[in-house]
Formats: sequence, C-alpha cells, structure tokens
Amino acid sequence: MTRALGPWETFLLAVLVLVYAANAWLSPEFLTLQNQVNLFQLSIEKIIIALVMAFVIINAEIDLSVGSMMGLSACAFAAMVGEAGLPAALACLLCLGIGLAGGVLNGWFVARMGLPSLVVTLSTLIGFRGVARILLEDRSIGRFPDWFNALGQRGLIGPVPLGLLSFVLLFVLLYVVLERGGFGRKTYVIGVSREVAEFAGLNTARHKILIFMASGLVAAYAGLLFAARVGAVRGDVGQGFELDIITMVLLGGVSIFGGSGTLTGVGLAILIVLSLRNGMSLMNVTGHIQTGVVGLLLIASVLVPRLGARLAGRVPA
Amino acid sequence: MAVPVLALRDVSKSFGATQALSGMTLELFPGEVHAVVGENGAGKSTMIKIMTGVHEPTSGTVEVDGQPVTLSGPRGARTRGISAIYQEPMVFPDLDVAENIFISATDLGLVQRKGLLREKASQLIARIGMGLDPDRVASGLTLAEQQAVEIARALSQDVRVLIMDEPTASLSAHEAGELRRIAKGLAAEGVAVVYISHRLEEIFDIAHRVTVIRDGRHISTRPIAEVTPDGMIAEMVGREVGNYFRKDESHATPEVLLSVRGLSQEDVYEGVSFDIHRGEVLCMAGLIGARRTDVALSLFGIHPATGGTIHWKGQEVRIASPREAMALGLAYVSEDRRKLGLAMPLSIRSNVTLATLGKVLTRWGLLREGRERAVTQGYRERLNIRMADADTPVGKLSGGNQQKVMLAKWLETNPALLIFDEPTRGIDVGAKAEVHDLIRQFVRAGGAALVISSDLPEVLALGDRILVMREGRQMGIVPHEDASQEAIMRLATGQERAAA
Amino acid sequence: MTRLSPGALRILALLLVLVLVAAFFATQIDNYLNARLFNRISSSVAIVALIATGQTLVILTRNIDLSLGSVVGFVAYATGAIVSAAPEIHPVLLALAALAIGAGFGLLNGLLVAYAGIPSIITTLAAMAIYRSALVEFSGAQSITTEDLPQWLVDFPNTQLFTLAGVQFRAAFVAAVVIVILVHLALLRLRPARALYAVGSNPEAAEMAGIDARRTVLAAFVAAGALAGLAGLFFLARFGNITVVAGLGFELKSIAAAVLGGVSINGGSGSVIGALIGAVLVDLIENSLVRWELVSEFWREAVLGFLILSAVSADALLMRRLTRLRIRREKAAPAPTPKEATS
Repeated sequence: MTRALGPWETFLLAVLVLVYAANAWLSPEFLTLQNQVNLFQLSIEKIIIALVMAFVIINAEIDLSVGSMMGLSACAFAAMVGEAGLPAALACLLCLGIGLAGGVLNGWFVARMGLPSLVVTLSTLIGFRGVARILLEDRSIGRFPDWFNALGQRGLIGPVPLGLLSFVLLFVLLYVVLERGGFGRKTYVIGVSREVAEFAGLNTARHKILIFMASGLVAAYAGLLFAARVGAVRGDVGQGFELDIITMVLLGGVSIFGGSGTLTGVGLAILIVLSLRNGMSLMNVTGHIQTGVVGLLLIASVLVPRLGARLAGRVPA
Repeated sequence: MAVPVLALRDVSKSFGATQALSGMTLELFPGEVHAVVGENGAGKSTMIKIMTGVHEPTSGTVEVDGQPVTLSGPRGARTRGISAIYQEPMVFPDLDVAENIFISATDLGLVQRKGLLREKASQLIARIGMGLDPDRVASGLTLAEQQAVEIARALSQDVRVLIMDEPTASLSAHEAGELRRIAKGLAAEGVAVVYISHRLEEIFDIAHRVTVIRDGRHISTRPIAEVTPDGMIAEMVGREVGNYFRKDESHATPEVLLSVRGLSQEDVYEGVSFDIHRGEVLCMAGLIGARRTDVALSLFGIHPATGGTIHWKGQEVRIASPREAMALGLAYVSEDRRKLGLAMPLSIRSNVTLATLGKVLTRWGLLREGRERAVTQGYRERLNIRMADADTPVGKLSGGNQQKVMLAKWLETNPALLIFDEPTRGIDVGAKAEVHDLIRQFVRAGGAALVISSDLPEVLALGDRILVMREGRQMGIVPHEDASQEAIMRLATGQERAAA
Repeated sequence: MTRLSPGALRILALLLVLVLVAAFFATQIDNYLNARLFNRISSSVAIVALIATGQTLVILTRNIDLSLGSVVGFVAYATGAIVSAAPEIHPVLLALAALAIGAGFGLLNGLLVAYAGIPSIITTLAAMAIYRSALVEFSGAQSITTEDLPQWLVDFPNTQLFTLAGVQFRAAFVAAVVIVILVHLALLRLRPARALYAVGSNPEAAEMAGIDARRTVLAAFVAAGALAGLAGLFFLARFGNITVVAGLGFELKSIAAAVLGGVSINGGSGSVIGALIGAVLVDLIENSLVRWELVSEFWREAVLGFLILSAVSADALLMRRLTRLRIRREKAAPAPTPKEATS
C-alpha cells in the first residue's frame, strides 16, 4: 500500500508514455497546453467521479447510478435556476444535498437491507434518470448566471479551470484519505472481507453508507460542473458515463472483487483513457467508436492480469 | 481376497506448508461398510476429497479395480461409480425430488419425460426404503429427506463406492437410524460404503471394518469384532504427548469474571451454564456439530443468544454486537483465520491494529505509521512473530505466525476475557507450544481464557476445567484433576453424561 | 398437499398486481380499458418479452447481461441491411440470420464470463459499448428507413392473425408469446435446461453433482443473444427506421421485467412466464403514464426504477421470512456457522 509504484502502476506508466508519444507523433496539436487542458476539461466530470468510484469498488461494491445522479443534479440545478428562478448558489447547495440523499438511499439498501449493490444502483440508475426527466422532460435549459458559466469555462488559476482544480485537490485529498487515513484502511479491510471487519468490531454498514454518500455527493458536484461547463442542460446529461468511470478504476488496478488497488493506479488509468480518447478525437474517430475502444480496454484490464497470473503458473483463487 | 474396488496407495497431500495427509493407504471392497474415524482435523475431509477427485494427491496413487487412475474432478469420479454425500446435503431448491436425483444423468435423453423420471425416482426411493414423493419441490424437504435425495442421486448412476461424510450429524436419532439402514442395504447389494461418523454407537451398529486415522496418517484397520470403544478412542487421541503439553498449576482466582446461566439460541444450542474466573482457563471440548462455536459467537455478539443470562463482572449484560462485546473486554480469536480472522492480502501491521484503529490515528483521522510500526514491533518481540517486515501481506506468513498476528490484534484491545476457537488448528508443533505459553501468560497476568479445542491433549494441557458439549447440549464440566482423554470422549460421544 | 409452489404463487401475485394497476388507471383515464390499449401494449411487449426471456436465462445462472440492448440494435440494423440488399430473401432465412448474429454475440459474452472468468457485469458492460460501436462502424452512421424494407416485413407486426371481441392478436405479439411459451416448456422439460436452475442456485453443488457449470453458463448467454437477435428483427419490422441508437435501454427494461416477474437476482429461481408478465406490467405502466393527465410521460423511468427496487426488496424480505419459517418448522440447522460449515 505504501510502495511508490507497484508492478501494475509501472506497467500503466509505460502504457501512458507510449500513448502520449504516439499521440504527439500523430498529431502536432496534442502536446499544446490548450489541448492538454482540454483533455481534462472534456471529461472532467467522469474523472472526478472515478476517484470516488475507486473507494466504492475497493470496498467491494459498485455504484452504477453515478451517471444518472450527475444528470439529476444538473437537471435539478437547471430547473431551480432556469425555471424557478432560485439563486444559483442556493441551487448548488440543494443539488449537493440531493447527491447526499441519493447516496444514503443506495447505501441503506446495500448496507442495511443487504441487497447486492449491482441491483440497487441499477434501479437507481433508472430511477435518478427518471426524476431528471420529470424535471426537464424534453427541454434544454441554459441561461445560467455568468459567474456560474465562467466557473465552468474559464481558467480560474491561469488556464486551469475550476473542474481541473477540483480534480487535483480531490485527488490529493482522497490519496491521503485512502493511503494514509484510517478511513482508507477500513475501506480496504471491509473490501477484503466484510466478515473480518465485522468480527473486529468495525461498523461496516455505516462505512458503506458513507462511501455511497460520497459517491452521490461527488456525482452531484460533477453534474453542476457539467452545467457550468456546457452552459445548458438536457435530461440525458451523464448518460452512459458509468462505463468510462468503471473502466478507469479497473484499469487502474482496482480489483472488481474489492480490497486492492491504489489511487496512483487510478490516476494513471485516467490519464491513459483521456489521452486515448483525445488522440482518437484528434484523428476524427467518432464518440461511439471511442466508447467501443474503452469497452475493449475494460475487458483487457481484467483479462490481462489474469492471463499473466496463469502464465506465471498461479491460478487466481 | 478380491481386488479392492477403490484403493489409496501411499497417498500424501499438502497445501502449501500444511501436510494434510501423509502416506495414507486404504482399501475398499465391494459389500463392506468401512468406517473411518479420527479427531477433527485428522485428515478425513482431505481423504474424501481425494477419493472424489476434488483434490489430486501430491504423491501416491488412487486405484480403481487395481488400476491406477486420475479422477479428474467430481464428474470423473462419478463416471467411475464413486459418489459422496455430505453433512450439508447439496440439493437444488427449485427442482423437484425426481429432478434432483437425475440432474446429471446422461442416459435420459434430451427431453425430460416426467412419467419416466417419476417412475425411476420411485424405484430408487423404494430401493432405499424411503417414503418420499418424487414430485415434491426440494426446498420443502427436511435435512434427512435431502440426504435421501442425495443417496438416490448417487444410486442413479450405478454407484460402486458411496462415501458418507458425517451424514447423521444434523439428524434426529430416528432419522439417523433410517440412514444407517439404507447404508447397510446398499452394502448388502455390493456397494462399498465409506462411513464417517463421530457417533461411536453408529459405527458399532453398521461397520464391518474400522480404519483409524490421526494427524493425516493411517493408524489401524481392523474388523469391527476386534475393536472396542475404548481401544478406538485411545487410538484416535493417542499421540505422543510431548513435554510442551505440561499443565502448570491453576492461577484461577475466586473473582468470577463471566457467568452464564441457561444460555440458549433457538434450534442451535440450549442450557449452557458456566462461570469463568479471573486467571482461569476454561476449555470447551466436543465433536463436530457440538455447537461450541455458536456459544462463542453468542458471547461475542455475532449471533446473540435468545435465552438465558450473561453476567459480566457481576452485572447482567446483553451483548448484541462485537462492538458491545469488545467494549466489555471480550475478544474472540476465530478458528477461521481466512474468512473471519485476518485480512490476508493486507499488511501485518494493518492486521495488528485492525480492532484498535482509533489508537493509531491522529486527531485528523490520519494513520500514525510510526506508532503502528512500533506496536507491531512490540508484538513481534513479545509473541516471537517471524516476519520479514511489517509491510508483508499477512497471507504470506506460516499458519503459526498468522495465528500470532491474530492474537496480537486481540491483545491490543486489552481484553479481560479471550475466547480462543481452535487456537492451534493447522499450525506446527513448535508454534503450538508457543501459543499455549501465550495463553498461560495471559491468564497469569490476570486475564481469563475460554478455549474451544478439539485437540484433546491440548484441552488437558490448558484447561483448569473442561466443559464438554454434544449436539447443542452441555454434557458436563470436568475439573482438570478428574479429566482424561477417554473421559472427555465418552461425554462428547454421548456414552455418558456427567452430573451438571 | 394443496399448497401452491412459491413460483406459482409469485405468478398469481404478479397477475393480481397487473389487474390492480389496470384497475387504478381505469379510474384515472377515460376510455382506458379498450382494445386499443391491448393493441398498443402487445406490439411493444412483443419485443421486450423476447429480450426479457433471454435476460431471464442469464439471471437464472446468477449472471447478468447488459449488452442485450446493443445486440438488439446491431441485429436490427444488420438484418435491415441484409433485407434491403437482398429483398427476395426468405423470411425464415432472415430470422435464422437474426438468431445467428445474436447467438454470436452471446457466445462472445459467454466465453468471457464462463471460461475467462471475467464477472458478467464487467464483460457485458464492456460488450454493451463494443457492440454498439461495432454497429456504428458497420453502418457507417447510415440509417435504415422503412423504404429500404420489403412490404411483408413492414406488415408483419400489424398483421392480424385473429380478432377476439375487438382485440386484435397481431402476428409479432403472437409469435413472441409462442416463443416465450416454447422457452418456458424447454426450461420445464429439456434436461439440459434444468441445469440452469441447478447452477444458479448452488454452483458448487452443481459441480459436485456432475454438471458442467461452465458450459451451462455459456449456453445461457448464447440463448440470450439469440433471443435478443430475434427481438432485433422484430424491432426492425415494427419501427422500420433504424439508427445507431436502436435498442438503447432495452438491457435495463429486460432486467426490470425479469426482476418484476419474480426472477431471483441471486439465480436459480424464476420463470420466463413471470418475465413475460413483468414485461407486460412494465409496458402497461409506461403506456398508462403517457396517457395519465396528472403526470407527464416522463415519469415512466422514475416509476420503473422505484418498481425494481421495491420488487427486489420485497423479495428479499419475503425470502428471509420464508427461510426463517422453514427453519423453525423443521428444527433443522440454522444458517451455517463458520466452524460447522468449514470442518
């Protein structure tokens, strides 16, 4: 847990260097500062959510509802500001509250009712999206306050916009929490075995609910970032984002069965997915195809370590 | 004599550093009921898994009809006519009885003919003499009926060897009698039946020959006429008692730490009553299905008791969760290190501080790594844990050292009463002695210990008093002065019951 | 023994819910319970029921298939392309092509899940994206329109086979119901199909009993793919216009139908008839919400999500209570404790 780079992280770093080099070679624009900021900016919501998703999966759960929560938050914001005329700052707070509430809902069903998180968050994936659609129906709503749009679109510190800044700060914060904090330690232990944790007196249900709350909160924040960045919101905001997000986390070396993985790995995987997508965009590959490539990457990220283990003569337990 | 239908020749099996079987030899002949007896952990389960193709032997051969074979998995074993039924029957709840019986039959064609299936099932059920409706859905069957379904499933495929692993452990006396009758009937038809049971009276009722195994080795095989209960028990328990099993004098004080009266959990165990004094080691002995672990889990708040009272230091308490148990000063060192005790992929130091994480956190919830390392180092010296460094995953340690890490985790909670569940299961002799010394040190320093163990020499070496359970009932408490392996075994097998 | 089996009880409960929902909307919407309602719902159910049936087969083995929507879309486009290139093709051949393409996708999923050991949620989440992008690549982002299709195909969904009291039984619906019943009979009567239940309820015991669990899981995915392929053909016939987003969302709808229909998400229990009724329920609610004046049609997803969650929770609570009752009744061993289970 404390080693700087494990074998998988080293491998990811090599892949990243390779992708960067290939992109730079194929497109002169790739390494420009503007493109590098864009690279983050275009997927900023996904990568912010991915950081918390790492906690969810290390905890041996999954949250498929993040894309819908993000859409719900964005739509709720648009409805409150664009239609009901609420002050944007208040609307932001309310949206974050919605995120927390959604997280409590997911967490309660998983941790207290004992339902599989896959089913619970699949239903809230549909449900949260449904509420978003109730709010906006088929309208597209924009005209948010200028300061709000500026936060999403302009550089806050030099060319670095709020989204990228949030990502960096969140990364540092979560890195410390996961790798140096008691909360992170519990996340690993519960992910390895909820029974072991329960027998050691940890309150595993509370811990799981907290993680789902964090997931909902950050997804809601990402929805606000989206509203500010794009300046207009429709009911389908964030649809299908869970694929990229889960891919980033699993590619980062987090085990789908929980209990292992590092935020360093997830950070590297985020950069790989972003630069791959960015490179493909620069070469005019369509979004659907890009998504397909991400899907292949997801399968490879689970298959490759497994094949490696089998080749090394160890069949995974 | 004829060629054995199934034979193990000099079979050994090891899992990592643990030697589960060494040089096991066993011959099974058609028409015999062959009982295999041994203490918990003697290697019976491993032997069955080799005979049914679940495990491959590390060395030695398995022979069918005198020919060496490789049984590739349960399916391979079944095609050679070797089937097993277990204490926990494996039926499929949504299918009916007839389907459960013929689920893997290959000669019944593609389309299921209900009438044919029912008819064939009825024949098999009649053959084992059970009154069971083939149309009943399996989810509604009793355990005994499920077991009958499993036997019928084995018979559906021309069975030549039927292995029965503790089949009666969860059955009532009447049901168990029925099951033995079935087993006898099968043997009369020429099937070789391997019968594993802890109930000695069953073995004398049913077996033609008895094999005793101990510590993964073959001890003896005799016709039943040459076996006496006491002789068999002596062979089961009679290992070399080394000097590390010396029992030192009792340190029990008059102060009662824990007092339990009439403790029960519905349908699991009942009427458990005992006191534990400060400085005392109380051992709990018994066989599989004695429900000793369940009593411990109730005390630790995992499965709270549904009846009876618990007094802790004179106060009546209710313990509804491990957190509450820990707050009182209880700790439970589980038998199942892998599933319940340790987070195997995580580092030694994270396991040592697992139950006391708060002690190594700063005000901001950050880990004080130096503190954690110091705590771990302290236990490394005190418990003599052999490890490279504190960051090694605990799963890479030997069983004995894993046990010590688990003990360190609980000692760090500063408990008054330590509950040990099979503290030396699967660890080597040297580490065993060390663990025993640690338990004695702990009580000498003013703690108390409740030790659940199936290892009789261990029970005799450690226990100031020995509580014996059998099938969810307390059979008696034997003071150390009156205890012997034979006396405990007689209680545990229900041959007698001591006055409470 | 007059006691109903739990499965039959579930179906009855579901039918009751169906009647209650219809009765509720009848009080809310004027002129609600008429033949048009049946016709509208039956055209939509024809497609969803097939996918839900496939999904049920997969869920029975304790897995899940999120890629079915993409399979529907791909096959709808592919069969559209085939039929517009060769309008003379025999309908049976076209249906076989749809089944085969779908089964091919299912085979890929099944191999990755059963033989490479990648959890089905990961495999099919990725496959959902991969098959969708295969569709984009294959179609070159071109759409298929009704004009490209031969008349018999366009007519197929609306062909009335027979009419009963003003209620039209259209070809696609009847075909789908027949297929669901066939699969139901197969699940009841085909011996290999019974293995699905065994593997799903207790994989370890299935292996011990001599069942090839991997092959069983593979077969479930292949069958699910094939059924989704057929649904793709129905989709093409019904809508005529096929774009790259065809079939989006069917994976969730099929899971909803199966779970509402009493298929246990933990595997080993449930029936495709239940899934069919679940599909009818989902469509009934969607269609009725569209016509209910108090709420907008956009409520349907929210209601759907809520319904799945309640169905799963109710099932979990019910099963827990049933298990407890049975334990009490039998006085047998309770939930295995760690020690007794491992010794």
